[in-house]
Amino acid sequence: MQDADIRSARFRAEREDDWRRLETVIADAEKHGLQRMPFAAARDLAALYRQATSSLAIAREISLDRALLAYLEALTARAYLTVYAPQEPLGDVIGRFFAQSAPQALRRAGPYLLIGFLSMGLGALVGYLLYIENASWFYVFVPSELAGGRNPGASTETLRAVIYDDDPSAHGLGAFAAFLFSHNSRIAIFIFGLGVFLCAPAILLTFYNGLILGAFMGLHVERGLGWDLLGWLSVHGVTEVSAICIACAGGVMLGASVLFPGQARRASALQAAGRDAVKLAIVAALMLVAAAVLEGFARQLVQSLEARLVLGWGVGLVWLVWILGRGRGRS
Amino acid sequence: MTVATPPRSVDRLMSPEGVPLCLEVAGVGVRLGAQIIDVLATTLPAFAFVVLIQSLDLAESQGFNAIAAMLFLFSRIPYYVLIELAWNGQTIGKRLMQIKVVASDGRSLTAHALVIRNITKEAEIFSPGTLILVLGADAPVVSIAALVWMIGVLLVPLVNRRRRRLGDLAAGTYVVHLPSPMLLADLARADPKHAKSEPGFTFLTHHLDHYGVYELQTLERVIRAQDTAMTGSEKARHTETEARIVEAIRRKISYADAVPADDRARFLRDFYRAQRAHLEQRQLFGDHRVNKFYKEKHSQSQK
Repeated sequence: MQDADIRSARFRAEREDDWRRLETVIADAEKHGLQRMPFAAARDLAALYRQATSSLAIAREISLDRALLAYLEALTARAYLTVYAPQEPLGDVIGRFFAQSAPQALRRAGPYLLIGFLSMGLGALVGYLLYIENASWFYVFVPSELAGGRNPGASTETLRAVIYDDDPSAHGLGAFAAFLFSHNSRIAIFIFGLGVFLCAPAILLTFYNGLILGAFMGLHVERGLGWDLLGWLSVHGVTEVSAICIACAGGVMLGASVLFPGQARRASALQAAGRDAVKLAIVAALMLVAAAVLEGFARQLVQSLEARLVLGWGVGLVWLVWILGRGRGRS
Repeated sequence: MTVATPPRSVDRLMSPEGVPLCLEVAGVGVRLGAQIIDVLATTLPAFAFVVLIQSLDLAESQGFNAIAAMLFLFSRIPYYVLIELAWNGQTIGKRLMQIKVVASDGRSLTAHALVIRNITKEAEIFSPGTLILVLGADAPVVSIAALVWMIGVLLVPLVNRRRRRLGDLAAGTYVVHLPSPMLLADLARADPKHAKSEPGFTFLTHHLDHYGVYELQTLERVIRAQDTAMTGSEKARHTETEARIVEAIRRKISYADAVPADDRARFLRDFYRAQRAHLEQRQLFGDHRVNKFYKEKHSQSQK
């Protein structure tokens, strides 16, 4: 009687060795990674995994052994997590992002980028014109901590001293630079994140940022320091302002998908828009980091106006070439 | 080996092979623990670096500030995105807590999903948290608003079944416990402890028509419990339970022969084996007996 095993016990006895083998293969794969697996083990993993899933499906029908069912559930789930792990190494993912997906997403986002740059540009224009009309607008637009003492009441020498910092080790500009960096990256995060609320906050915030920029320009142009300020801002500003505009484009993209979902439901339209919008956000973040590096180091080292203009717009050109040039042709 | 398994939040995930897999959803506590480990694992080295630089008097303010800022920036989103990409949905904290991110559609995790679920972490926790730490009591309105937002966000996982936070909902992911497979001995096979020559208990069909799957698997738990290490008092209690179960079964199935005290464990094992064989056979014929009330259910559905 004891010799003739019942059906489910025989079922288990026949397959147990394969399950044990699958267990060791999984443990190996989890420890060393799928990429470094020997060929035989990788081949076995796929075959044994399918075998285990079919064992599980059968066991659910024919076996009432709780321990066996629990084991098979855990084994197949664990194997599933290993087999269906992304096969691409981290380096390839990052490489693909820079070589293809990011520039392609930016090119697809053309109209949104236009909106972003327009908001910023119009803001700057309005800020400039308003300042020329009445200098006290400056106090309305520019938060006092951001201006750092540079306001219509300051002397031209003070303004000049900030732009051409004769003593590179001075703390004033360094601290200001650090603050500007954190201020603008926070603004960029807000612009992107708030875009989901029907675009308006993203556009308004970008416009407001433009107002600050315009008022600054107005102040310096009035004192005959227009080109000097342009050079001072260009070093990092070309990159930084572009980053804010790109963040704005990403935010508007999210908002537009909520406003005009087309045939899809709003939630799924938002998810679809998120695919490109997130890439825009990552590009904006990277550009902000690059801008901070330029601001922290290059601006203090490069003091002449021409070199500043060349450096700033040169870096801008590099971004443009990257966006327009990469990831074309074969998909 | 556990005698009583606690109720677990188990979720079904359809594998591409078409076999639904059961994965245990990770609770809020475990994930909070993993998050705290991650925060410590990222900020402590950064702090250590800052202290080291300062103690060595290398602090040349500007470059130092930039490096420190970059370190602290990296310890936020980039760390989580990169490490979850590299380790397929695990961070240092998640590895220690044995949990893992999976895609809710059953496919493999995409880079996009991991980026989304970690970018939203910034909006959910880090940004308001930083606001509270930086502003504190200086700007009570903002601080309180940030606190309310954070509490609201932390409540989101509690109100959905898969314990997903906002980022999980946006990315289509959720977090599960890593299952650990452990194969126990098959009770239906011959017990090596008993000699083959000993005659076993035999049961007839009318003995086996009284119980269902639930009772069978409860009996399985009791039998497996005797293999665990037990202290003296536990052993005594187990023996008593065994005696009561044997008597209950004998009464229920009207098994005439008495079972001597030494043979109780063997009686239960033999009964388990016979009962399982019987129920499995009935199941193959489409007669699934969930528990001992299967007859009533059957007659009800016929009416």
